[in-house]
Amino acid sequence: MSYTQRETPVLAELCTFLVEDVYGELAARVYSVLARHGRQTLAAVARASYLNGRQIKYGLVILLQQHLVFHSGNDSQPTYYEIDWLNSYALVRLGKVTKLVEDRFGRKAANVMTNLLRLGHTRIADLKEAYFPTETDSDDDSDDGTVNGAGMKRKRGGGNEPNGSAKTNGVVNGDDVKPVVSGDHAHSGTMNGGPVEQSEQEHAEEDDGEIASVDELYEIIERLIQRGWVRTMTESQYLSPGDMHDMLQQETIDQDLGGQQPTGTKDKAVCHKNTLERKRNMRDKWLNVPRFSRRGKPDQDYSNPTKRVKINGANGYSSAGAASPEDKLVIRVNPEKIAVAMRTEQLVQLVEQRLGHVTAHIYQTMLRMLEANTARCYEEYPEPPTAGDEGGDNQIDPKNLVTARDVAKKISRDLDICEGLDPNAIVQITRKGHVRSANILSQPTDPSTLSMDEKTRIIDKHIQLLSEDPTHFVTWHSRAGFSQWHIEFEEIAKQLIQTEIENTISARKGTLGVKLIRALRKKGKLDERATCNAMMMSANDLRGIVNDLTVQGLVQTQEVPKVERREAKHSLHLIWYDRQRAREKLLHDTYKGMVRILQRIQFEREKVQPLLSKAERSDVVGNEEKWLSKGELDALRKWKEVQEKLSLQLFREDDLVATLRDFHGPLVSV
Amino acid sequence: MAAPMAPSMVPKEEEPSAVDLANNEAGTPADALYDKCAQRSQGTVFFQRDLSNMQVAETMAELTMLLQELCDRHLMKLMTFEGEPCWKLRSRAEADKLRRLTPDERLLYHHIDQVQAEGIWSKALRARTNVTQQVLTKCLKSLESKDLVQSVMSVKFPNRKMYLLKHLRPSEDIAGGPWQSEGDFDTALIETISGIVAQHIENETCIKVPGNWNDYERPDRTADMAQKKAQVQGIRDIEDAPAVKPYHQPRDPNSSKIVHKNNPQYPTSASVAEWLNSKEILRGKTVREDDMEQLLEMMVLDGRLEKISGTNYRTVLTAIDTKVYNGFVDAPCGNCPVFDLCGDEGEISARTCVYFGQWLETQSEEV
Ligand code: SF4
Repeated sequence: MSYTQRETPVLAELCTFLVEDVYGELAARVYSVLARHGRQTLAAVARASYLNGRQIKYGLVILLQQHLVFHSGNDSQPTYYEIDWLNSYALVRLGKVTKLVEDRFGRKAANVMTNLLRLGHTRIADLKEAYFPTETDSDDDSDDGTVNGAGMKRKRGGGNEPNGSAKTNGVVNGDDVKPVVSGDHAHSGTMNGGPVEQSEQEHAEEDDGEIASVDELYEIIERLIQRGWVRTMTESQYLSPGDMHDMLQQETIDQDLGGQQPTGTKDKAVCHKNTLERKRNMRDKWLNVPRFSRRGKPDQDYSNPTKRVKINGANGYSSAGAASPEDKLVIRVNPEKIAVAMRTEQLVQLVEQRLGHVTAHIYQTMLRMLEANTARCYEEYPEPPTAGDEGGDNQIDPKNLVTARDVAKKISRDLDICEGLDPNAIVQITRKGHVRSANILSQPTDPSTLSMDEKTRIIDKHIQLLSEDPTHFVTWHSRAGFSQWHIEFEEIAKQLIQTEIENTISARKGTLGVKLIRALRKKGKLDERATCNAMMMSANDLRGIVNDLTVQGLVQTQEVPKVERREAKHSLHLIWYDRQRAREKLLHDTYKGMVRILQRIQFEREKVQPLLSKAERSDVVGNEEKWLSKGELDALRKWKEVQEKLSLQLFREDDLVATLRDFHGPLVSV
Repeated sequence: MAAPMAPSMVPKEEEPSAVDLANNEAGTPADALYDKCAQRSQGTVFFQRDLSNMQVAETMAELTMLLQELCDRHLMKLMTFEGEPCWKLRSRAEADKLRRLTPDERLLYHHIDQVQAEGIWSKALRARTNVTQQVLTKCLKSLESKDLVQSVMSVKFPNRKMYLLKHLRPSEDIAGGPWQSEGDFDTALIETISGIVAQHIENETCIKVPGNWNDYERPDRTADMAQKKAQVQGIRDIEDAPAVKPYHQPRDPNSSKIVHKNNPQYPTSASVAEWLNSKEILRGKTVREDDMEQLLEMMVLDGRLEKISGTNYRTVLTAIDTKVYNGFVDAPCGNCPVFDLCGDEGEISARTCVYFGQWLETQSEEV
């Protein structure tokens, strides 16, 4: 089974929570049957639940549209349904995605993205309809009566309830106050300008972020597809990893091995290798950029950064009503890209902590430039290593190289790039004045007056800081006029995982615990004495920590008997640290922590439920001061605070999940 | 007599071989051979071809005889290296002492000599030599009083007395390095020295920059605001990152921060050891490169230093003071003593949780 498709009861519980939160009880009930029983046919779901066929189908439609569930394809009967854990979990990220897109492509694109997230996969025509309804009733247009039109509400409202599911929600569950995962509060703590203020802003300046024309909408969609944030939907994306594997392996056997089941090791290796290749090809095809009719050659260049959104494209659509060939395309959000962007954010945060905000900003610029060419964080189907080939041909695609000059061209003029560096380095570059004894420049340098060349060289100094850091945030590649740098994400991702494990231990056991983990990581399996030697401390001070960390599952112990009778006294007692195990344990615990937070939110909401109902009455909304007592207002405010705090924590836990799970494949440990 | 096996052929420090002319037995060919050997640097190991090249003995047989004589007089010690016999000199004074030993004492001395700096536990010594406990105790005392052997408490096994030759320095395995005393790590000493070393490395690799180090004329804030406003109102390029300029504190000349030095000389364990020894902070002790490496590596584990490349160290800097850990451990559950007992419902659950109650300042359900 695919690594990412491994689930645990805790994850099942968490995802069921999220599904219920966003899509209501009916969908959640169907979902929980699948979560508890695994792969099922429709009939089996019906047997395991108390729902009737119509209800189940209704629930399944939602789940399928949102890609929370795989199905085994139409040609094989009967159809099996199976949960897509990764996508289900991704529900917690809805708000974060909006923020990520907004940072990169502006508010309008974020708006489109939010709608796509709400709607699940969508025909472009439906999306257009949501923004620019034709004069006739738009519902005629929708193909299977699902959740069309939600985008419209979304755009104007900025309200809290997940209106993408407003219709379906109502069926079983009238309670619409489900703000937790609905995205508007979502953003991670350290970034500025949260979506909370943003939705308020939207009210304030109505037209900012409003998409003015169909043309503009199409342009945004196209750009999002080109950059890999959105991909076209195909049936094959519904296959679970297991089904996909079976299908492609069969294809390999049929086409490459003449229909013979592989028996010898050589045949098996060929089969394995070619199946992986087929998986890669299939997946890469999902990211192909379709032709957009507008300009005739859509995928012209990925790298031109100065293309401006044309409000009135010369040969754009004349009216909203006209159909275009791409209208039939069904598109959806590409979840892999979200992880890439989250990785960028986290790396930037880490650099900010270590090297300061200017260096972090420069790193951010570099990372975002590379994002366009980075489809995913790691290769899930890597080419198996062939014997004798020591991976010598790790040629780096020039698209993945960045120079200081590239950064200098993009960097904002407002950024004081001289900050965070040794003053001597600045003088060396500007050749103006000297550094006085107190490390003050005798001739101050205004960064906005620097020449392009000086800027480049100063930025290169920051990049050197990045490369010298033990995490090696960047790596020197070659010189082509300027130093070309690339980023070894593999290694960095491992470091990130390690850092989070250390952070966890640090919070629980202080520096001593961290020291122990690092010692074990460096030296492998150690007995007590060797551990003491590495840490230069006495055994007595150490035992408690070893015990605690063992109980927490972050450190492993082993007893190797030395004498025949296996007396513990004579045995060798080894301690070691297994990064993969610690990683999985921490991930599992984090899922559980998230469940507890969701449960607490639910509990806190229950407590104020009567008050919330009252506050939502149409006569009260807008006249709160008049109808609610001071005590009630205070209680409402308190609830908002509590909810805010808990949600924020939830999103931070999600950041941790991303680091532990999404940036790197399974680690071969020790 | 069994050939004592040299544990290793690394020449150990020996006492200077004082050629005592007063006690001169010179004149015999054996002494001539001894004197010739003594001219070489001390600790040298001689193979048969080296000795015959000295041309003291006329024939092979004579050489063998001479060597036998020297060995009998304890002036030479026979060893083997990869199956080949070889010899090492003893000082005349030492040989003199050895000659006066009783056979038991000599036997014990021989075994202690074999283990060199590793030392041998008295019990193991008895097992190898088969002498009675009384004899053992008596002989060891006498050897110690004659300044031939010394005893040290083992660091590895705190209740074992280890014996080794007087002139040898006990190996780290039994005595520990400069950081240990009485068989345990000297925490206070380590703390002090690592503090001093940390400061030294910081001076070498970092630079303190005052807040006003680059005091250029800042553009007028109102102009700034106007520009910003224009930016907001203008149609933004879809690809431009929003020009969010994070707020950073104005430059205060009294505040300062520490940044990495431009092109520093990164210290190594050798350079730091040399520096520390030159400061003579550790009275009487010198710190070897190995000892320093142990200390520096420990400081890396501590998060005080970081390793830049194979052998270079520098100070760990953090640009932000506030310590956040991660989303999980900053929430109550991440640090909860009853995490594993906590369930979806029941006595310990998110509803009844006191930790959440404290954290959120809300009421939890009573159980
Ligand atoms: S909910 Fe409370 S009791 Fe349960 S794990 Fe979290 S902190 Fe501990």
